[in-house]
Amino acid sequence: MSTEMVPTAKDLMVILDQVWLSYLDHDGVNPLVPVEDVPVTSEIHAWVAINGSWPGHVVVTCSTVQARNIAAAFLGMEPADVAEDDVADVLGELANIVGGNVKSMLPAGCVLSTPYFVERGADPFRNSDQVCVTELVGVWHDEPLSVALWHSRSDRVEVAA
Amino acid sequence: MRILIADDSRVMRQIVIRTLRQAGFDDHELIEAADGRQAWDKYLDDKPHLVISDWNMPGMTGVELLRALRSAGHTVPFGFVTSECTTEMQDAAAAAGALFFITKPFTAERFTEILTPVLG
Repeated sequence: MSTEMVPTAKDLMVILDQVWLSYLDHDGVNPLVPVEDVPVTSEIHAWVAINGSWPGHVVVTCSTVQARNIAAAFLGMEPADVAEDDVADVLGELANIVGGNVKSMLPAGCVLSTPYFVERGADPFRNSDQVCVTELVGVWHDEPLSVALWHSRSDRVEVAA
Repeated sequence: MRILIADDSRVMRQIVIRTLRQAGFDDHELIEAADGRQAWDKYLDDKPHLVISDWNMPGMTGVELLRALRSAGHTVPFGFVTSECTTEMQDAAAAAGALFFITKPFTAERFTEILTPVLG
């Protein structure tokens, strides 16, 4: 096994804390709370691909309700007032921000794609040839959210302690 | 001053505009572009005094836009607001002539710190 190291769930939580404080929870009163053994409703998938020296994906998964909560907070409006296009745009941007920060922890030579968004489709990664090497599940507004890092060469990855 | 904001995410353009206002830069004319190519066209049409650009955009990336501007002799102050935060990207931005590099997620305080010397 190589000594490649990938970001841990704690690393993802640090990134998400920054995102929440910047755009979703300015006063720090309603943060994303990391949890274990909480199933995530798999209705929304937003991701960016990482190509190059560490091929993989950074994937955000949540329910439609949670996606609307997040989009509303980004835009400073009520969830009911958020347009479908804005939900896709916000969730894609969330994946993009996390992906950009994850990339800085990976070996040099990685290139990020622009974001992708799928609603109510089949999970694009669960049965693919990629493997989930890191996942952070958090709860916000009583709804879970997953941010996961998938890698296409699972036998060469060692997760940092 | 006229400020051109280039980002393929409409939501992120809105957030950049909101953050500019929160940072106290609310008396400037703001122009939006949805990708690098559109930003190039709007630059030629509107001659903004500052360009704030995302890095990763379809068609023409932010750094391609910057290089195209400099190749054509345009010296407009240009900075990136991007999720890309590797040293290699920041070095590439500086080499192409970028004035600043703000990484997402960002705060109004960060905008104030970086943009006050540019916008006054």
